Amino acid sequence: MMSMFTLAFKSIQSRKTTFFLTFFSIALSVMLLLSVQIIKKEANSGFMQPVSGTDLIIGPKSSQIELLLYSVFHIGTPNTLMEYKSYERIQSNKNVKWAIPISLGDSHKGYKVLSTNENFFKHYSYANGKKVEFRQGKAFDDMFHVVLGYEVAKKLNYKLGDNIVLSHGDTEVSFVHHDELPFKVSGILKPTHTPIDKTLIVTLHAMEAIHDDSSGHFMLRPVKNPNQHNVHHEDAHHDESHESEHGEHDEHHEDEYHEEHAEQHEEHAEHSENTFKENLSHKVAKKLKKLPEKISAVYVGVDSKSSILSIQRKINDNTQEPLSAIIPAMAVQDLWGFFDIVQVTLNIISILVVFIGLLGMLSLILMGVQNRRKEMAILRSIGATPFDIGKLIVGEAAIVCGISIGLGVVFLYVALFLSSQPLYDTFGFYLQIAPLSLSELAILALIEFSAILISFIPAYQIYKQSLVDGMNTQI
Amino acid sequence: MIELNNMQFSWKEALILDIEHLKIKANEKVFIQGESGSGKSTLLNLMAGVITPQKGEVIISNQHLSTMKSFQRDNFRANHIGFIFQQFNLIPYLNLLENIILPCKFSLSRKEKALKHSKTLEEEAIRLLGNLGINASSILKRKVSELSIGQQQRVAIARALIGSPDIIIADEPTSALDSKHKASFVKILFDECEKENITLVFVSHDESLKSHFQRCIKLSSINGVKAEEVE
Repeated sequence: MMSMFTLAFKSIQSRKTTFFLTFFSIALSVMLLLSVQIIKKEANSGFMQPVSGTDLIIGPKSSQIELLLYSVFHIGTPNTLMEYKSYERIQSNKNVKWAIPISLGDSHKGYKVLSTNENFFKHYSYANGKKVEFRQGKAFDDMFHVVLGYEVAKKLNYKLGDNIVLSHGDTEVSFVHHDELPFKVSGILKPTHTPIDKTLIVTLHAMEAIHDDSSGHFMLRPVKNPNQHNVHHEDAHHDESHESEHGEHDEHHEDEYHEEHAEQHEEHAEHSENTFKENLSHKVAKKLKKLPEKISAVYVGVDSKSSILSIQRKINDNTQEPLSAIIPAMAVQDLWGFFDIVQVTLNIISILVVFIGLLGMLSLILMGVQNRRKEMAILRSIGATPFDIGKLIVGEAAIVCGISIGLGVVFLYVALFLSSQPLYDTFGFYLQIAPLSLSELAILALIEFSAILISFIPAYQIYKQSLVDGMNTQI
Repeated sequence: MIELNNMQFSWKEALILDIEHLKIKANEKVFIQGESGSGKSTLLNLMAGVITPQKGEVIISNQHLSTMKSFQRDNFRANHIGFIFQQFNLIPYLNLLENIILPCKFSLSRKEKALKHSKTLEEEAIRLLGNLGINASSILKRKVSELSIGQQQRVAIARALIGSPDIIIADEPTSALDSKHKASFVKILFDECEKENITLVFVSHDESLKSHFQRCIKLSSINGVKAEEVE
């Protein structure tokens, strides 16, 4: 028996220009449908990875999504801070295995600065138990050491020993620089595909020092720019330092408005001479070595999973300071609850688009049925059964849809490949380009199955027709 | 051998064919003459087992087609009968050789017979084309739709001949050809059927071709239903 499939394939091959739009529209819809699934899955795991090793996040009283977003993803700014004393209290809890204090708010060329202590490198883990590792150098052993996330070092081209000045606030273009107390790059991290890649990590002591003006030491320096103007920044935290910063701290030059790119270039040129040198301010700061009074949040690991809930309750009911304790994995789920609606909508749209594509294919095949009666008569004359003729049509639909699906998968991977970097830059989640999962393959199988199913309509029509027509070619 | 006994066929309750007896012996070359609308196509469809009569029997090569199931008749047709149509004999999306060897894809026995002559089916197709006076290498690369009608009809003969079926049924195969080509077409068809011991049933309204045949049957004389009634 001639494989009707081969025949169907040749028939489609001869009409590929006719089917071109069908291939294209089904392929695009397949791509759309799959990318919705993949983006959702990848975004979910991208959001889950940085918190996978953390049992609880404790911060000032706030909504769990707010706390999660700023403490882990550095999105948004907290309205209030929590007492450092609360951190110490949390750490002393017998069920708490480890606690990492973190403080946010400053930045460096658009990258966020996280201040913490040595616990971070000891205990923080991501992506199911991976510890933060160093590509070069080591964690800070000096108060003014800074550890750079992979991307920070790569994009800004920093080396070990470089001099880095942090900026106040977390906007891309900051007007206030802590340039009296620069930092020395002591380590560069390996890529983690979490927000840490885009973070500079410093000590809590240093963070306190660059914002501390109580003694007046650090701010005493000659005013460089006579055209200075005051800057009002709205950051609610680091209150203590704000007042004094006006006037003394403002040394914004016009040229800082330059594009980031240009700025980076300037910076590169300076690098060679711009190695870290300890100054007097550093020495004074180290003498004082003050800890901050306030921090942004605390990451907590517990001794056993069973104590998570009891600690959470205890923190939330805490009377000494209004605090929120969240289970990050649950908060991420909560966050995704919102995106579910978006996903369902997108799913419905892409399923409809798939069907429109399939209907386009159906109408093309149906149109062909009338024109192909002679061809069917020839096939019947050489022994094709009416059932074979039906199979030819089903085979054609299967091939058209199969090719379209293949094309759609190619489109998908091209799109994933092209969008992975922009997605990472914009939303900070790393799109892992993996082979299709079983459920995605099931979707493809379902589309193919639908194509075959709807092709029964023209197949039945041509079957009936060839029963009537027989071998009559004079139609 | 083709035998029809007391056969009646109706379409939508109108009797179209009523043939008491018709016998075509093996290796015979028969011209069946009939005007259009006289039930010619119906007769061919009955002989080929595409349709079955409501009454009577159709016996081809000692097989009763009327008792077979539809798929058995299709299979039987693939194995035993080659067809040549008026025109549009070739499937546009298959190339020349694919068109010729197509029957071998539907019939194992014809494939086996074809492979007795040549090593591959393609070689056999080229050999047949050579016999029909077509130098295959000159047109092999062309699309079948680019061939002349005369060439197309000869390719159709090659397809009907491949794997030596018992019977070749030709339905107005010359109507698209001019008179010069008609004669040579009939001659070639005759020669090949002779060589392979194939029974030839040649149906046409064109009486000018009658002279080539041993036997001529006027459809209207064997059909109990008169042409006016059929129309």
